[in-house]
Amino acid sequence: MSEPSSEPPGRLHPLAILVFARKRIGASILPILVVAFTWRGGFALPVLGVLVAVGLSILVLEWRRFTYRIEAGRLVIERGVIRHTTRVVPLDRIRGVDLQAPWLHRVLGLVQVEVEAAAGGSSAAELSLPAVSAPEGDRLRTVLLSAGLKEAATGEPRPDLVLYRATPRLLVAGGLTSGRYILTPLVALGVIANFADDLPGAFGERLLSEAADRVPTEVLGVTALIVVGVLIALVLAAAGSLLTDWNFELADDGDRLVAHRGLLTRRAVAIDRSRVRGFDLLDSPLRRVFGLVGMRVVAGGVAGGRSGRTALAPVIANGDARVLARALDPLAALDATLEAHPRAALSRRLARAVVVPAVSGVVALALQWWLPAAALFVLALAGVPLGIDRYRQLGHRFDGRRLAVREGSLSRRWTSLDPRAVVSYAIQRSPFQARSGLRTIVLHLGQGAGSRRVLDCSEEQATALLVALDVPLFAPFALAKEAAYPLSA
Amino acid sequence: MILREPGSQLDPRVRRLWALEWGLAALGAAVVTTAIAVPIELADNRVAAVVVALVGGAVTLVGIGLALLQPRLLYRRFRYEITELGLYVARGSLWRRWQVVPHARIQTVDTKRGPLERAVGLVSVAVTTASAKGGTDIPGLDPRVADALVEELAHRAGIDEGT
Repeated sequence: MSEPSSEPPGRLHPLAILVFARKRIGASILPILVVAFTWRGGFALPVLGVLVAVGLSILVLEWRRFTYRIEAGRLVIERGVIRHTTRVVPLDRIRGVDLQAPWLHRVLGLVQVEVEAAAGGSSAAELSLPAVSAPEGDRLRTVLLSAGLKEAATGEPRPDLVLYRATPRLLVAGGLTSGRYILTPLVALGVIANFADDLPGAFGERLLSEAADRVPTEVLGVTALIVVGVLIALVLAAAGSLLTDWNFELADDGDRLVAHRGLLTRRAVAIDRSRVRGFDLLDSPLRRVFGLVGMRVVAGGVAGGRSGRTALAPVIANGDARVLARALDPLAALDATLEAHPRAALSRRLARAVVVPAVSGVVALALQWWLPAAALFVLALAGVPLGIDRYRQLGHRFDGRRLAVREGSLSRRWTSLDPRAVVSYAIQRSPFQARSGLRTIVLHLGQGAGSRRVLDCSEEQATALLVALDVPLFAPFALAKEAAYPLSA
Repeated sequence: MILREPGSQLDPRVRRLWALEWGLAALGAAVVTTAIAVPIELADNRVAAVVVALVGGAVTLVGIGLALLQPRLLYRRFRYEITELGLYVARGSLWRRWQVVPHARIQTVDTKRGPLERAVGLVSVAVTTASAKGGTDIPGLDPRVADALVEELAHRAGIDEGT
């Protein structure tokens, strides 16, 4: 590395004090304000003044003591007013650098730098620089990442190649067709209703009865009300999608894929290209109608557990998704004809989708809860087409280089996977599967990429797939079917 | 084509270990139930005391039942095998799971001896991978078998001695 080893230690931006203040005060601002405004004694203000002065000096001290530097191929962060801590991470262990700008940071022109490093075991350690200036954040990202990937690139940096950009139109379409954004307003409404219960003076109840008095009773009025409700839900769904993924841009800078997104909080995620091991294409029945999918990357070290980090494209047209995937992995298996799973899997899908609500409905009937019972029976009836479609979507195919797996109906996922990503293999069998000769294969992927499964295939298919995925590993375990049960003949 | 079962069985003494574990759990349930039910009874709340005693008693009985049945069943159904390239472990009877961890993907090999295991004279071996759920463990091995297993796994995985 060409970095001089005696670089002066870096400090956070002085405005970081404000960020610290907001973090520290956050929850306790309310009681403080309440005390300040309700205390009628003459000494409330002086006390508050002293508190503020003490707090401010602690914050300044905290800022003064927070230093970071890059020396001898390591990132060193020192912090702490009372208890001093030093964290050291070798640069080649750094897996990702995530720049975030929550609203306060945006106002002040700062970014928050989160550094993901490979820890000894399975988990990823995370270091954070709470507030540096935006250019410094960009510089840190380049320095921190380039060391781990290869020799720091000298000369002109290659202009970034933009692979995907979300247009507002796409995002609106994505919001309207996504279950997540459609349901979010409902959840928010539920939370508000909950809070309304706690408001003084039975505010919630009064509002409700007032509203009930004005609810139109004639058919026309009710229809209008429903239409307005649906419209509001749709607008909120589109707004949600626009808010989180505004100007989503995926660029390729040679070694990494860098995704920027967000309207209020602008976020950047970098994914090491050499760690890309596959893709998930996600859609819903509604998205299928419009030919749209969401696309995520399967890659180690992206901390996929946290939502959104693995997104390559929140909404993208089917054809463009294929072009994008092929640009990243020419072998990606996205159009393979999948091998269907045995008919027995249909009974299992149907049982899951129909039996559970039906039985719950019978219980509700027995308890004379008429309305829930009716709802559950409707759900059970809807379970029939759902179960059939879930079965028809099941499938897998291994072409010798990439594995394609599909499952799900309302939220369908097509995965193209490079078998090199697999860290361990498992076949599972529940008592129900045992009766119908079905198996589920679970492929564990390393470094936070989770696992992917092949649901309800036959025992033959399971063995054949595992053997194909890794011949030398599985060949010693595979037997021709007759030989397996020599005594049962 | 189907997978054959792994070849080796655990040390037979593991049945005693599991029975001991379930027995202790049952004993714990019985003690807790008594500790809750008796004060309630003394406070003259007969109905609540009976309910607590029934629930606690049922839990205790289940524990005793498992202590009697589960070790034999699990012992028969737990198999493992180590090959040139991987560790193959099969476990469970109703819910069964066959797992293969390639040696090349093993990150650490640990041996563990809890107090109960020490009492029975057994060791368990745990293997971890880069995926938190991708690892596996083999409980109830004779110390000599475990040592040999750890050595072989570490050697094949390319991990230095002294883990």
